Order: sequence, then structure tokens, then C-alpha cells
Amino acid sequence: MALLSVRNLTHTYPNGFHSLKGISFDVEAGEFLVVIGLSGSGKSTLLRCLNRLIEPTGGSLSFNNSDVSHITGDALRAHRAEIGMVFQHFNLIGRHNVLNNVLYGALGSSPTISSMLRRFTVEQIRRANEALRVVGISEKANVRADTLSGGQQQRVAIARALMQDPKLVLADEPVASLDPATSHSVMTYLERINTDMGTTVICNLHFLSLVRQYASRVIALKSGEIVFNGQPLEITEEWFRTIYGDEAVEVEVR
Amino acid sequence: MALLERIVVPSLLDAQPLAFGPISIGLIIAGSIAWMLFGLLYGASLGKLYVGLDVADGPARTLTYHLGWFALTAFILGGWIITDISPIEFFSGQGLQGAGRIFGALLTPEFDVIGEALSAMVVTIFTAFMATVIAVPLSFLLSFPAARNVMGRGVAARTVYYVLRAFLNIMRSMEPIIWAIVFSVWVGIGPFAGMLALVIHTIASLTKQYSEQIEDVDDGPIEAISATGAGRLQVLWFAIVPQCVIPFLSFTIYRWDINVRMATIIGFVGGGGIGTLLTQYQGLARYHEVGTLIILITAVVWMLDVVSSRVRQALR
Repeated sequence: MALLSVRNLTHTYPNGFHSLKGISFDVEAGEFLVVIGLSGSGKSTLLRCLNRLIEPTGGSLSFNNSDVSHITGDALRAHRAEIGMVFQHFNLIGRHNVLNNVLYGALGSSPTISSMLRRFTVEQIRRANEALRVVGISEKANVRADTLSGGQQQRVAIARALMQDPKLVLADEPVASLDPATSHSVMTYLERINTDMGTTVICNLHFLSLVRQYASRVIALKSGEIVFNGQPLEITEEWFRTIYGDEAVEVEVR
Repeated sequence: MALLERIVVPSLLDAQPLAFGPISIGLIIAGSIAWMLFGLLYGASLGKLYVGLDVADGPARTLTYHLGWFALTAFILGGWIITDISPIEFFSGQGLQGAGRIFGALLTPEFDVIGEALSAMVVTIFTAFMATVIAVPLSFLLSFPAARNVMGRGVAARTVYYVLRAFLNIMRSMEPIIWAIVFSVWVGIGPFAGMLALVIHTIASLTKQYSEQIEDVDDGPIEAISATGAGRLQVLWFAIVPQCVIPFLSFTIYRWDINVRMATIIGFVGGGGIGTLLTQYQGLARYHEVGTLIILITAVVWMLDVVSSRVRQALR
């Protein structure tokens, strides 16, 4: 049984725009699935539907053998707590320090009032420090998050996701606002949590060179539909034109 | 020249303001039509000169434009008559003499009252301070249900949002001076009445400013905190509040600054402090003492203005 199973998923924005038109795919535990496609093809919406940050308008979602399409309240919170998420703009709490930002990964599994008083347990603090060590940024634990560079902030964001002890990590264009060198460093950390910890990763990416290097499987979206589902090496020049249009030229990121 | 000296100048000096009535209304309309026709005759060139736009684009716009010109002229002429604008009275010898007397008295302040004035000023400053302090926590709590992005799209939430917004707008539209009159009857004349009046107005104003700041926050952290499985309160506390703390502080300090000015005015109608003292001396026509009070108020308001803008700048 697959870890995640998406069946005929649709999403329509309130203005009538059909962003997802019946998406179906499975993700096995341990995969590093990359989703590619033009801006506006529905990649970000798809990722946000998986942890229900965006409410799908149709279809079904099954995660870890349970139907999560319509769960609400505590069940939804528990579902989200099992899935870490990393964003293009890092989305840290800039005024708070790095360690606290990582600890916020535990909010989903902490009682509301005590977490708001920042009463985190000794165990949680130990795990937060451990997560910071994994992404190699322990020495910044007590620094304000908004003083870090983009690459460092993204590593903190990965540590925050690790804090959730996630079964799945969603990464929405995690390197799109980073320079090429930093991009590889961030992708390497995602690869490491995939291979070393066995965490499943679903990642939206723009650059095919990154896709070929890190993906174990690729899905391509075009106007809200899946047009390709296969191995990274199978993306030929012809497929590239199908996905990105005839005018497109591939840009290499080394 | 003789005509100008013998007839026009004296008749201008003797002229009385035109009372608002049928004759003046007729004059306003006639004058406005004449001015509009003048504009038409010159291809609306005067208006183009004013607004710097080529508005004569199609007959509908030309018509709108000339009607606008007519309305503006009518409003200015009408306003002049309705507000009794009268240069003659402004420059009359008797009037100038009275003004000179008061200004003279104000500029030779009587510093015997300084002790009394200072203690009244302290009352005013603390009336404003307490009003701000009491209003802040209430405004903070109200600002979240008054923020569109917090309330979402649900019908119940939207209803709460609109009712609260409408209520706050009504509260804000009622000037604090009116609340001061109400409360001076309710709890008696004095600083307590003034403070209550300011509390109401401060809650209405701060809630609006706070909630607009909340509506302005970056959505990214909200998504990120929600994605960890956090509940609504946790999202408010960890994703929204950290983005708002500094602007909230800045609004609050500025509001205290405004409240000190308002507390002075509220004193005129029984809100205690320096305003009440000022009306007392003004009622006794003791303008030397009034001068002292005005100097003190100006100094304090100016100082607070400088301090609050410095603090707010440092907070940025």
C-alpha cells in the first residue's frame, strides 16, 4: 500500500480558475518525488492540497492508509503534524530566534496554552537542537532568524520540518530564491533526510538539472493535469517541449 | 480714478455680508452659470489650466466637466455667503483692538498660576495615559475578530466581522467630546469622565489600526505554522502576533500622544485637568492666566510630539 494515494483530485479557485483537473498518482514510502511544470501549472496548489492548507474541491486523498480528504479539527491537525513543509520564502518567524523557530515544528503535537507560554519539554528542546545539528547550523540557535542568509534560513525551515518527525516532507520550490551553490546545499539536506532517515519527499522544482540529480521519480503538470510520470532520465527533449512549450530552452544549474 | 476713490472703495468698506436667502441663492446660481459660460466660451481652457488634463474628450465628458465647474463655483460662492465670510469685520478697527487686547494679555502671561497649571497638566497627561493603558488590551483582543484575514470566509465569522466593524465605525464617528458630556453626567465632572470618554474613542481607533495591521501581515508564516498542525490560537500567537508587535507599539505610543491633546479639549466640557482650568479662567476673562495655560499646553504637546515620533522612529 502506497504512503500517499491521490485520486482524481480537483481544485477550483473561487474566481473559477481550474488549477487542478483530476490528478491521480501514488507515492511509495521512501521516494523522492519531484513535481515540475510551468508557473501556474498547479504545482503549489497540489502540494498544499496534500496537507489541506488548500481545500481540494473534489477527489480523494489517502495518507498512511487512512482517508484524509474530509477530516477536520484535531484529525486534520494530526494529519498536518505528520507532514513537514518547506517553502520558497522560508516563512520563518523572523523576530524569533532559530531554536524557537525549530520548536514551532512541535506546535501540532503540543497543548495550546502551554505552547503559547513557550513551555516546551526538555525532550522537545533536545530534539530541536538535534534537528539543527542535522542541518549543520547549531551555532546559530540563539540568533534571530531574520539575520540569517537565505540558505541558512531554508536549513532552519528544514529543521523545523524535521522537528515534526514527519513521514512526508513537502517542499514548495525550496531553492527558487537561492543562488545555485546554496541551492545544491539545501537540496543535499533534503536528499539526506530522504536517504538517511527514509523520509518521503515531494518537492516542486524549476530546474531540470536539479531534477535529474535529486529525483527518484518525476511528475510533470501542465494546466492542472499530469502530462508525465516517470524516471528523471526519461525526460527527453520532446517531453521537455510538451511540458514547457515549444519556445522553451533548458537552463542548466550546476 | 475719481470713480474708484469716491464710490467703489467706500461702498466696499461699508458693505455688509449678504444674508443667506432667496436673493443670495439667486446670485450664487447666476454667478455660477456665468462662470460656466465663461469656461465654455474659452473652450474650458481655465479648467485645463487648473487640472492639467485634457478633459474635453467627447461630449459626455465635456458636459460632466462643465457641470463640475458649475458645481465648484456654486459651492465656493455659496460657502462664502453661508459662513458669513466678511473681510470688513476682520479688518474693522474695533475688532482689531479687541484682538490686540487678548493677544497682549496672552503674551504677558501671569505665572502665579503655574503651580495650579502644572498639577492640572499632570492630571491631563495621566487621563490620557490611563485611557490608553485600559484601551490597549481590549483593542488587542478585538482587533483579531475585526481582521478580515483572521475571520476567513465562513458565514458566521463574516457576520461577526461586519457587525464589529460597523460598531467600531459608529463608536469612532462619535467625537470624544460627546462621550465626555455623557460621562460627566454619568460619573460627574472630572478626570474620570474624561478618561472614560477617551477609553471609548481609543478602543475604536486602536482596534481599527491594529486590525488593519493584522490584515497586512505576510501570509507565509501563517501557512508555515498551520502546516505544522498548529491550531487557530497557535497560528495567531506564533505567526501573526510577532509580525504585529512593533507596529502595535508604535500605534499605541502615537495614540497616547493624540489622547493628551484630546484630554485637553475634553476638559472644556467637564473632563477635568488643564482644559477645565482653562475654561474657568477664560470664563473669568483672566487672559493673562489663560496665556500661561496655553503656553504650558503648547510646550507639553510639542514635547510629547517630539518624544513619541523619536520613539516610533527608533522602533522601526
